[in-house]
Amino acid sequence: MSEPRSLSSASLVGLVARREISARIRDKNFIISSIVILVLLLGSLALQVALDSGTEESRIGLVGDAPGLEQALQAQGEALEVDVTVVELPDEAAASAAVEDEEVDSALVVQGREYELLVQESAGGSLEAIVQGAVSQLSVAEQLAEAGISGLDVPEVPVTALDPDADQDSQRVVAAIIGAGLLYGLLILFGQFIAQGVVEEKSSRVVELLLATMKPWQLLAGKILGLGVLGLAQIVVIAVVGVAGAIAFDVVDIPGDLIGTAISVVLWFVLAYAFYAAIFAVAASLVSRQEDLGTVLMPTTLVLVAAFVVGIQASADPDGTLARVTSLVPGLSPLVMPVRQAAGDVPVWEVGLAVVLMLVAIALIVRLGGRIYAGALLRTSGKLKMREALKAERA
Amino acid sequence: MLEFDGLHKSFGDNRVLDGVGFTVAPGSMFGFCGSNGAGKTTTMRIAMGLVRPDAGEVRWRGSALDQGLRRRIGYMPEERGLYPKMKVGEQVAYFAKLHGLDAAAAAKAAAEWVEQLGLGARRNDAVEKLSLGNQQRVQLAAALVSRPEVLILDEPFSGLDPIGVDSLAEALLGQARAGVPVVFSSHQLDLVERLCDSVGILARGRMVATGTVEELRRREAGRLLRVVVPDAAPDWATALPGVRVVSEQAGDTVLELSDGGNDQEVLAAALRTGRVTHFAWQQPTLVELFRGAVAAPTAEEVAA
Repeated sequence: MSEPRSLSSASLVGLVARREISARIRDKNFIISSIVILVLLLGSLALQVALDSGTEESRIGLVGDAPGLEQALQAQGEALEVDVTVVELPDEAAASAAVEDEEVDSALVVQGREYELLVQESAGGSLEAIVQGAVSQLSVAEQLAEAGISGLDVPEVPVTALDPDADQDSQRVVAAIIGAGLLYGLLILFGQFIAQGVVEEKSSRVVELLLATMKPWQLLAGKILGLGVLGLAQIVVIAVVGVAGAIAFDVVDIPGDLIGTAISVVLWFVLAYAFYAAIFAVAASLVSRQEDLGTVLMPTTLVLVAAFVVGIQASADPDGTLARVTSLVPGLSPLVMPVRQAAGDVPVWEVGLAVVLMLVAIALIVRLGGRIYAGALLRTSGKLKMREALKAERA
Repeated sequence: MLEFDGLHKSFGDNRVLDGVGFTVAPGSMFGFCGSNGAGKTTTMRIAMGLVRPDAGEVRWRGSALDQGLRRRIGYMPEERGLYPKMKVGEQVAYFAKLHGLDAAAAAKAAAEWVEQLGLGARRNDAVEKLSLGNQQRVQLAAALVSRPEVLILDEPFSGLDPIGVDSLAEALLGQARAGVPVVFSSHQLDLVERLCDSVGILARGRMVATGTVEELRRREAGRLLRVVVPDAAPDWATALPGVRVVSEQAGDTVLELSDGGNDQEVLAAALRTGRVTHFAWQQPTLVELFRGAVAAPTAEEVAA
């Protein structure tokens, strides 16, 4: 057996962090919440795809020779935002079989100038419109050609968009709101994890054994870091799956903007997590039983709820006073600033100021909170006031 | 040497420790006794850096304990503490790592200790599923797994059945024989008397007695004399110089002799009353020593 070595702060923090991670990834609550979040995400993507089916698909079988019909069908489909695929079929029997087997949605049988549309039950609005439109376009052209009129000059209507970016803007805002909601959910979740972990160590008294080998701040840092790595991994996975899914299913027009928003949400998560994790841990250190957690966590949870609400509001009025002020306030900024950034133009100095204020707040909380935490950890009777904990730390 | 030197500690107006000091030689076992609230736990917590003393320090091999040295101490807190949902083997290995063993050595040492303490079959169970006695063994494994140079155990025997007491005593004696100074607190004074090379009794924040049980006995033994004289009249001994009657019941008399008292004069006086069936210095048990030491403030204390 090798001799015990002396441990640096970093290796102690690392040991604590690794224990947190390995304990948490085997925890049922964590596994379930991760799965629920992913399922929700994929579900909402699927819903988006289903609702916003600009890419409805239709397979039309075609029997008989009708030059230009295939192009006409596809052109009609495009006009009605339906992706039309034309399948050539040899005869009417094959067409009936294909419709019955649902290989095609419908089959158009052409015999000279006679057209017949075979469908399973009913043609449905868009399908009938496509076929009717294509057939009449073709036959009008044919009849005009027979009448000797060709080279008809049909004027094309030019389209001028007054706000060509509106759609992209709203997509960015939706992405930012989803991001803020995600931030909110993950912060609450990981805040709870941290708080439960702190109280577990206090209520099981294992903390006395831990503090015999390390300083309170090392324990606190290890816990926050360990769960933070998990939280970050989770939000990165969600962001990647979400963005990749949205791009793959064509839910968004400008993938670049979506990726930018996702990255800014992830970066804000890091700051917000450090801030709230420290507060949750310190608050939790004041109580000794899981039952008492609710009361001490309530104020912080309310701040988070408020930040989320203000964040949603900021999407409607990104340059209003409320949004501008709250996007600078530490604790609120992580949920407001990304929404503002997505919904409008935020001067770089405002973003920078928000980040700096947040960093200062984190430093203050870790300093003050670390002292409260240190003073409160070994007081395992009932609920402690913050002032008592600070006093105990100095004793 | 493990030295506790002049520890003072007050919590607010409550003066808990008022100059506690004692030393424990390597390879010896020190029993730390005192009534509830006497300050034993505070003394041990100071050694482990969990409470900051107002004055005084604890030294190991001449240097004051710091975080690095404390890592070489095996500690069992009064309030047992383990992660309830963590598996036995992993938990012991985790504490080994916190005490500076690398991952491989920690896993190996944890497996050995878990096996040695008879928990091999429960290695992969969560601690909360174990009986209290077995949890206590895991606690001991957590204290011993890093091969500590010093052991400080707060009430290690409380809550154990007699067999558990025996196996823990065996384990601690084994550590002491290997040269580790062992300090433990206990209310089971018969156990302290049986196991410990030296004893310290803490009362009102001071060490009122320290030394081997023999030394304490000798110190007390000069004082109490039991004489059984069945035929004597009541108050036969009251008039003897330097003698105080502690109790007297049908001739069974316990006398306390001050410096001026002479046991041979007492014997002569006893013989004058008739038969003497018993004449001996009292051999006080540790319990009696403890009661005597804890009961009254000593002159020195009063002066202070």
